[in-house]
Amino acid sequence: MKPVLLIAVNFVREQRWPIFVLLLWVLLLAFLGLVTDIQREREDLLFIFKQVAIYVVLFSIFFGGSATYNERKSRRILAVLSKGVARRQYLSGLIIGVAISCCIYGFSLGLTGSWALGQAGFPVSQVWFLMACLIAACVLAGTVALMFSTFLNPFFAAGATGIVLGLPFVASRLFAPWAGYSVPVVALTGTIMRASYRHPGERDWFPVMLALGEIVIFWILGAWIFSRVDVAVAVE
Amino acid sequence: MGLALEFDGVSKEYRNFPSRRTVRALDGFTLQVEHGEIFGFLGPNGAGKSTAIHLAMGFMRPTHGKGRMLGEAFGHARTRRRVGFLAENVALYHRRAGRLVRFYGALNGMGGAQLSKRAAEVLEAVNLTDLASRNVGKYSRGMVQRLGLAQALVNDPELLILDEPTSALDPLSRVAVRELLIHMRSQGKTIFLSSHLLSEVELVCDRVAVLHRGRLVRQGKIADLLQSGEQVEVVARGIVPDAFAGAIAHDGVVSFSVPTKAQRQSLEQVWSLGGEVISVNPVRRSLEEIFLEVTGNGESSREKGAS
Repeated sequence: MKPVLLIAVNFVREQRWPIFVLLLWVLLLAFLGLVTDIQREREDLLFIFKQVAIYVVLFSIFFGGSATYNERKSRRILAVLSKGVARRQYLSGLIIGVAISCCIYGFSLGLTGSWALGQAGFPVSQVWFLMACLIAACVLAGTVALMFSTFLNPFFAAGATGIVLGLPFVASRLFAPWAGYSVPVVALTGTIMRASYRHPGERDWFPVMLALGEIVIFWILGAWIFSRVDVAVAVE
Repeated sequence: MGLALEFDGVSKEYRNFPSRRTVRALDGFTLQVEHGEIFGFLGPNGAGKSTAIHLAMGFMRPTHGKGRMLGEAFGHARTRRRVGFLAENVALYHRRAGRLVRFYGALNGMGGAQLSKRAAEVLEAVNLTDLASRNVGKYSRGMVQRLGLAQALVNDPELLILDEPTSALDPLSRVAVRELLIHMRSQGKTIFLSSHLLSEVELVCDRVAVLHRGRLVRQGKIADLLQSGEQVEVVARGIVPDAFAGAIAHDGVVSFSVPTKAQRQSLEQVWSLGGEVISVNPVRRSLEEIFLEVTGNGESSREKGAS
């Protein structure tokens, strides 16, 4: 477990600048909460809150899709995997790193949202439920991207992730609503996007639990693929 | 006690995705490295040396064949805890050198005071103690290579695999690394050293193998390889150099080389001319000559020289 945590913390450290940029968006929300008339601008605040939440889903795909590629291209992966670290441990470390990054962001956004939206009349407990949805969506999206990044370059990994995450949404519109839960990233972000002061939304934990289960499935699948690829050769 | 490193008929093919062209980097490669020796691994660029090393470390899977490292199949993670590895053009995270060495040690399950002590020792061994608090991003290439060696040594490995460990080092650092390797051998460690610096290999290695186009073309003890056995050098005095083809005279001493089979005849000729034989020694070849011969470059370089 120790090597996994070391790799996870190292991943967060290596991604500190993108995480910092993301946190600037949270600061923007806090700033607006300070300088604006919250009651009058409450719809704008909620819109920015949702917008900032969606950014982190995109960033998690970026984090996951480029993680192994950057390490392989820079050849830094060789020094790590030359130690007593199994491939599955390495990938687990990256997934936990993505999860930590998303949790940092989600927690910061949750704190800011509780303060700013709470003053505007949005239930604070619902803010934290939405953050749980957001973190689950982000970690699942990042894990899918990471799985693809084990054998595709970041551009194709992001595209393939987009297809895997988007197809259930399309299927739910064309065929059956339950299809949207097959990979529930869009369903979870939809919960955030639909939230309003009048209808903050129901606390349906099923998609969150489903996402957690699918994280494990994609994690295992990614580890299985990653244990079979040649890491000393850069992905083209 | 088994072998430290063993390749058994290992082949590795790379497939180019769009063109579907296959490149065979290793072809039925078989090699055994024993415990406690410094083994030199030679070959021209593209011969497959790094591929063989990456297979041993588990970074790649062989297309055919199998291999074992410290008694376990290639790619066994727990076995790598007993191995140190330095990659060619080593790339390390940009953070303080001392912390970085501790990070790599911790990945091998080390921790606490033992890790701190060992990290300080290896930084001292590569002469980076004074720069331990500097960020690796500000290091020169030679410093990064020395730090790479430190991270390879931090777990006190039984087997050290080094891919071009001194390519970016200045002569002083090279000597220090060479002494370090010899010291490690005296402690019973095994060192598998891939290098283009033939003089260095000649100085420290017990055995060498030469790889060419993915195939093993020569291997053996350094002493055996360098001693050709085909020619002897005769040193004599009291004769004129003109009596022997290719003879060189210096301060009244004449030296010349003759085929081993003809040495008796040559010695009798020296005596018949009233000369005195000072010494007769087998001619030692350089590792460079052997390398050029087995990689097929000897003829071409001689032809170039002749033209």
